[in-house]
Amino acid sequence: METLKMILLIALRNLAQARRRTFFLGTALSLVTMLLVLLMALSQGISDNIVSSATTLSTGHVNVAGFFKATSSDSAPLITDAAAIKELVREQTPGLDYVVDRHRGWSRVVSSTSVLSSVILGVDIQEEPRLPEVLQLAPPSEYREGATGPARGDVSQLARDNTAVIFATQAERLEVEVGDQLTLRTQTSGGQANTVDVTVVAIARDIGLLSNFSIFVPKQVVLQLYQLKPDTSGAIQVYLKDIDGAREAMSTLRGALEREGYELMEYQPAPFFAKFETVSGEDWIGQKLDLTVWSDEVEFLMWILTALDTVSYSLIAILIAIIAVGVMNTMWISVRKRTSEIGTLRAMGMTRSRVFLLFILEAFLMGFFSALLGASVAALIAFLVNAAQLRIPVDAVRAILLSDTLVLAIEFTQWLGAVSMLTLFTVLSAMWPSIKAARLQPVEAIQQIE
Amino acid sequence: MKRLWIAWRVVVLIALRNLLSHRVKSLIVGSIMVFGTMLMVVGTSLLDSVEASMEKVVTSSLTGQLQIYSSQGRDELSLFGGLTASRPDIGEIEDFGELKRLVEPIENVKAIVPMGLSIATGTSGNDIDATLGELRAALEEGDARKIDALRERIIQQAGLIEDEYAYRKEISSDGERLERELEVLQRVQQQAFWDDFTQSSSERLLYLDTQLAPLLADGRLFFLRLLGTDPQLFKESFDRFEIDKGQMIPPNKRGVLISRRAHERFMKDKVARELDRIKRELELEGRDLATDEVLQGRARRLSRQYRRILYQLDPQETRVLGEKLRAELGSSEQDVAKLVEAFLLVDAQNFYERYAYFYAEVAPLIELYRVNVGDTVAIQSFTQRGYLKAMNVKIWGTFQFKGIEDSDLAGVVNITDMLTFRELYGKMTDTQRAELTALRDEVGAEAIARDDAEDALFGGSADLEDRGASAGESFDEFESVEVMERAQRKLRAGQLTYEQQEMDSGLALNAAVILEDPTQLARTKAQLERAIAARGLKLRVVDWQQAAGIVGQLIVVIRLVLYAAIFIIFLVALVIINNSMVMATMERVSEIGTMRAIGAQRSFVLVLFMLETLALGVIAGALGGLGGAVIIELCGHYGIPAFNEIVQFIFAGPYLYPHVTLKNVLLAAGVIFAVSIIATLYPAVIATRIQPVVAMRGKD
Repeated sequence: METLKMILLIALRNLAQARRRTFFLGTALSLVTMLLVLLMALSQGISDNIVSSATTLSTGHVNVAGFFKATSSDSAPLITDAAAIKELVREQTPGLDYVVDRHRGWSRVVSSTSVLSSVILGVDIQEEPRLPEVLQLAPPSEYREGATGPARGDVSQLARDNTAVIFATQAERLEVEVGDQLTLRTQTSGGQANTVDVTVVAIARDIGLLSNFSIFVPKQVVLQLYQLKPDTSGAIQVYLKDIDGAREAMSTLRGALEREGYELMEYQPAPFFAKFETVSGEDWIGQKLDLTVWSDEVEFLMWILTALDTVSYSLIAILIAIIAVGVMNTMWISVRKRTSEIGTLRAMGMTRSRVFLLFILEAFLMGFFSALLGASVAALIAFLVNAAQLRIPVDAVRAILLSDTLVLAIEFTQWLGAVSMLTLFTVLSAMWPSIKAARLQPVEAIQQIE
Repeated sequence: MKRLWIAWRVVVLIALRNLLSHRVKSLIVGSIMVFGTMLMVVGTSLLDSVEASMEKVVTSSLTGQLQIYSSQGRDELSLFGGLTASRPDIGEIEDFGELKRLVEPIENVKAIVPMGLSIATGTSGNDIDATLGELRAALEEGDARKIDALRERIIQQAGLIEDEYAYRKEISSDGERLERELEVLQRVQQQAFWDDFTQSSSERLLYLDTQLAPLLADGRLFFLRLLGTDPQLFKESFDRFEIDKGQMIPPNKRGVLISRRAHERFMKDKVARELDRIKRELELEGRDLATDEVLQGRARRLSRQYRRILYQLDPQETRVLGEKLRAELGSSEQDVAKLVEAFLLVDAQNFYERYAYFYAEVAPLIELYRVNVGDTVAIQSFTQRGYLKAMNVKIWGTFQFKGIEDSDLAGVVNITDMLTFRELYGKMTDTQRAELTALRDEVGAEAIARDDAEDALFGGSADLEDRGASAGESFDEFESVEVMERAQRKLRAGQLTYEQQEMDSGLALNAAVILEDPTQLARTKAQLERAIAARGLKLRVVDWQQAAGIVGQLIVVIRLVLYAAIFIIFLVALVIINNSMVMATMERVSEIGTMRAIGAQRSFVLVLFMLETLALGVIAGALGGLGGAVIIELCGHYGIPAFNEIVQFIFAGPYLYPHVTLKNVLLAAGVIFAVSIIATLYPAVIATRIQPVVAMRGKD
């Protein structure tokens, strides 16, 4: 213990003595750690954005959806007998939080001045405990230039027939205000067009790119637009207490539904709208259920994360390589410079392993504290950036990051991982010079004094 | 003079000797420099190549070098797609003719091409349409036996549809409509309907056309991004344009050309397309059917699509295919459905064999494309006011762009004439107005004012649900055309003509400007802007990158990311190089002290240090630049495969053939010089501060 304390003291003294060297190497290490933490935070931020906007707008943690085919060539994204399936799901899902079912449709949305196309989500607002919380009302300034005043409207009004909740970007485009009318218009494949007029009861803040393409209406509106019976539904969305249990919950549900005699489609990790063609080519009639987890439904967004992570990790790998070379070089020179010192220490009876430990400890201390500093600065930057709600000026970047503002989400485990990783690499790079130092013979070392 | 020369010689020699004697330091600093230079050469060359190939694709397939559009719209022009699902509001160029007269005389302008983009859904007609077509031909020929056979087929088809209604009732709440349609189906199946068929054939055919055919919704819907333009002018101006199948839209004729890419990707039979896709993934992405589970899943799902082949065959063809497949598969299975299913279940061993067999033996029996060259198809589009416009168009051919056939970007639009576009957009020409008036007289419909049409649209929904049931209730002035017999309209679609003057004058949404010399882009852009401002037109001019929309921005984003990465890498490298240099300086304290003691000036020491770095920089820069250039040229020789669809999109093709330019190498070398000089400053300054006395003291 005493020797360890002594070695620690010597290491610290060495670091302090070689101030310049420690400062430069430390700065480089801090910079790289900071960068790593920030890049991971960016990736995590995007991932959080995808999860939150996807699970609000287009998917549950697990979905029980399906297709109904009136003819072999049909493919309607519908489930009949929704109530019974929902009950079954409620009983059988492990770690269940709550279950909702939503209708899905695609429609033209017509205002008195403009038109857009959107997914329409038919919801039963009384069944959706989270929705009024997640959908924050947008103040008029977010969708009308020069407008002031507080946000108006009420999401829970979706309980009334012929109502709609739209998002700020859509309101801006359609030039509508809470209380205005919209006409929804769909066209069936047979060419028949149906319309329903709805009243905007609330305008919600945007939730990333996906909200440009989604509006909420009561179920009744979708049923009317597509002339559907009330016991049909689009998808049963299962929300779990822990989203990581999604895959397991899906396989449990598959088993349970199969036992109850429901016909299931083969698992295909893709969003429902990518399956129309496959389904319409298959030779069956009637109902089949299709189970997916949340990431399947937003599979088309996942490439963004892959691309970002690829860029981040290659960059970090290059930087770590450069740093490793630097650390090795510095330690090497340090060993050479301190040859006589080492010789003296060895002559005084210090073992080789202690000398090795001395140098490694030096590298460890420098690596650890620099990484810690860098990671802490990164955390501070992330905090400031999030607080400042920086608006991203470039469309393409907004699309890639799925958010209007820059969000950096730091997870503690990742933060700790970055610090450990950089410390580890510093220590590893110091390995070879330290072994060299340990191998020095006392006599040889002392002789080298010129 | 001579002394100066000697002094320089000494410094250079000392510098070189130092580099050699501090081998470790030189090696480390040098290798970081080499690596940095190489990285920069490779990075910037790749990016430039990507940008160049994207520019080639974007400008030579759609945008030209410059685009002109209204400054009054709410959105920016984004010809390759934007961020909303709605049609962007880019305003209108009210009179293209005026703009053309203004722009054409300007120096360096080769051509100005009118454009307008719209999205239409098409239906290619269903099996009943096809049968009715045959029936019509048989009636004309008076072939009684054939008429009888076709009548049986129609009755059978109506029976099949009636069976489906049991399932439709399960999900539909509109019982009344279902009953009404069931009546039609039952009436067609009754003998009474056919009794005096030949006497009142045109009336009966009309009934079948308008009442029965729409009931078969067999999902042959497709999307078309339609670019309205002057097809002849487009062909002349975009010189990579070439016809792939069929023919060019003849001068002054109306119609549509489909991009080969869209035809292959979106309109081909699903089975053929899946086979193509598996082949592409095997070859391009280097995946393996024996181990890749995703690919195996795709093969399994493919085998379940056997119905797509079977339902296109008549009994004779089914029998023949059954025999062939039994021989091919060496199976004794009698059920042809099972045979086709087994045939389509491809694996690593049999894939290429099956692929070839499919195209040789199966494909000729089926309709390989939903839309064929020469077809007339019905397309629909929402007009700019939000209501639906339907019309028939003739598909004259498919086209592609030479040299960029494989780019996803190049095939994003299909081409039609400006007049068809204007109709879909909701603008009428004088000829059409006259024609419409005549039509109204013909069907006895009352003219509907625009205001009334709006009332019909926004007032209530009752009128709208029955699309085009009668001209009086229609909300779109063009839809009165609906009541004409469908076949007659189809006949007309291929013969519609226009005058060049109609094409040139009137509305366009944007216009592409092709330049004689693309390098003079900025200058011509400024000239155009001046001319437009002088005429008082409310138009703006943008370059191709801006006009491309999100795609154009993508390259900017990638460039930003690359530069940021290079900046960070060099920043860290700078710190590390600096550190190594400082360490090396510390080791040379006595040497430098001695030099100073024997009369070397501070400036001499500074120059010495700089020279050392510079020499290292020259060597490292040369090695790195050369290494980078070799890597890029090797890649350019063999081509970098685009390993997935996103990369393929960015590469604007399945392979990228990058090339290095002198600019890339010089830039990289310049940056590495700057970095190494900056990295040397601090250690050099430390060195100049060393006092001669230090050397005399011996060790520090």
